[in-house]
Amino acid sequence: MKFKVDNGPHVKDSDNTSRIMNRLMIALIPIICFSVYKNVSIIYRMDISILEALKPLFMILIAIFTSVITEFLYSLFILKKNKKDLKEYMKHSYAIFPGLFLALVIPLNTPLLLVSLGAFIATLIGKMIFGGFGHNIFNPALTGALLVTTAYGSFISGTSNLFELDTIGSATPLANLANFNYVGTFEQIVGKFGSIFNYIFGTIPGTLGETNKFLILIAFIFLVATKVIKWRIPVFYISTVFVITYIVSLTNDIGIWYPLFHILSGGLLFGAVFMATDPVTSPITPMGQVLYGIGLGILTTILRFLTPYPEGVLTSILFMNMTVSLFDKIGLKIRNSFNKKLIYITIFILLVISTGFIINKNLNKDDSSVKILNVIKSEDSYVYEMSSKAWGVITANVTIKDGVVISVDIVNSSSETKWSHIVSNDYINKIINGQDNLDSLDAISGVTITSDGLKEMVKKVIEDYGDKYER
Amino acid sequence: MKKKFNLFNWLFDGNPLFSMLLGMCTTLAITTTFENGFVMGLSVTVVLLFSSIIVSLISKYISDELRIPSYIIVIATFVTVLEVLLRKYSIPVYEALGVYLPLITVNCIIMGRVLSFASKNKVGASILDSLKCGIQYTFAIVLLASIREILGNNSLTIIDNLSGLLGFKLSFNIFPSSIFVPSNIFLTSAGAFITLGILLGILNSIRNRGDSK
Repeated sequence: MKFKVDNGPHVKDSDNTSRIMNRLMIALIPIICFSVYKNVSIIYRMDISILEALKPLFMILIAIFTSVITEFLYSLFILKKNKKDLKEYMKHSYAIFPGLFLALVIPLNTPLLLVSLGAFIATLIGKMIFGGFGHNIFNPALTGALLVTTAYGSFISGTSNLFELDTIGSATPLANLANFNYVGTFEQIVGKFGSIFNYIFGTIPGTLGETNKFLILIAFIFLVATKVIKWRIPVFYISTVFVITYIVSLTNDIGIWYPLFHILSGGLLFGAVFMATDPVTSPITPMGQVLYGIGLGILTTILRFLTPYPEGVLTSILFMNMTVSLFDKIGLKIRNSFNKKLIYITIFILLVISTGFIINKNLNKDDSSVKILNVIKSEDSYVYEMSSKAWGVITANVTIKDGVVISVDIVNSSSETKWSHIVSNDYINKIINGQDNLDSLDAISGVTITSDGLKEMVKKVIEDYGDKYER
Repeated sequence: MKKKFNLFNWLFDGNPLFSMLLGMCTTLAITTTFENGFVMGLSVTVVLLFSSIIVSLISKYISDELRIPSYIIVIATFVTVLEVLLRKYSIPVYEALGVYLPLITVNCIIMGRVLSFASKNKVGASILDSLKCGIQYTFAIVLLASIREILGNNSLTIIDNLSGLLGFKLSFNIFPSSIFVPSNIFLTSAGAFITLGILLGILNSIRNRGDSK
């Protein structure tokens, strides 16, 4: 006997796809309304013309228009549907969603032409090439958004449009966090954008869909209650991010606001609720969903902390879309055995905790390898006892007089430093002679790290002398 | 029944890049300009041709256990000869190809053709096969390189590094810069994958259409 499998999403009860999509639309409408209202109200105060103030609306409309047109032309000319089929086909392919979601996740200062290009790519490459609605492997909107933002990033962050000047186009909280190297005080990281209420009610910079967390939470409850999305992916995604950032905050003595900040800023909530749960591109087995959510959380935090891109939700969802069938297979295999479930959950929890510590370890690589051990004042000069941890540890007495280093006496150096190279190159004298312009002094090949350590040492002495003793 | 000769089918059937996806490393790295792609395609063709000739001659005397090492020595010899010649006559080309020139040795197109065809056939057939394979590869790599260069740099460099040999330069912009904005992503390896994927999709759909008729 042969089973015929219909297109996803697969739903058991009497719900059909069009009702699901209607509910998704209902959940999105308040978010769209708020984003338009927010940008109109802020820009209205800045006396900018009404056309520019309504840009969010144009973005959404243009994106929807482009994706519908693209899908129409594709099915007309490439799939070669006849007129009767075409009407039926367009009714069940939900062409507006790639464009709509794209407009909601793309940065606000994207030129309208690029929004249109993004919607075109989203529909054509993200959706139609794979066979249309229900067959795509990757989330179409995210495919388009990622391609446009990476390929034409210079136009998005460029100063060519007015929106760069106002608060909307300014650095998002996460970009600001990256500037502080991911650790900072409450005032530096949260305070710049107002209190926690600004974060919850969306009056912070960000893309159209992601800012108002309150409306997203309501949408989440509505969608779960009407069984449009499954609760497991968002819940486990967000709690994984919470746990990892909580580990980072604990080991860096930052308060509980730090993990909350990570959840409330950026597109995490929006991505978790609307993107990661897309019924076509997410696992359908319950355990698969749990593990998928945890994997998303791990990937997002790694991308946020350890790469130059402070967001990371978009990329991690696209990446995890590839692994959906894997997680479904795991979910199917372990669904009847409690022990197997326990093993998988334990492995993933261990992964989460170790991710937290790995991130933390990589965050703390500051330049404090050069230390001042002691300062001795002799008649007219100061002797600094320094230690520099380069390849091995060097300790040295650096004598400084009137702001000029006059001698560097090496007290001790461990054997890894290959000291003979330094001596044979007469490097210490080179440092003393070239101390006004240490950055241009080349390191010795073969002992680069040791010679850089020496340089850093002398630099620090000059800096410290200038701060404390120079009049 | 004799088939009518079809240039399109001749170029794409059994194309090492488009239907077997061989030699990807070289392809993705070097296809940033038309000229680089062309020179790389020619180099591979030349090495493939000479290796095939030698291998088809000596294959009788080589035991099966020693096949791969001895064929690699043959290929590497010709790659080294090519490298020395390029360095002697055109240093800019040599520098533009960089590490991917010695990497021709381990290019799976050459190894594949030599192992599967030249070692089992006579000299004449091997020459014809290697020439066909080389032309197909050159065509594919040039097609990919020109698409990438137009999208990524809005230009088509036909002779630039070779100008030392030929005495003139030939490169031009395709679109006026006011209507077309190139994107650097197509010059990266990720862009190469995107371009190759879409190109493969289009070509396969054209071929499937031809088959179904």
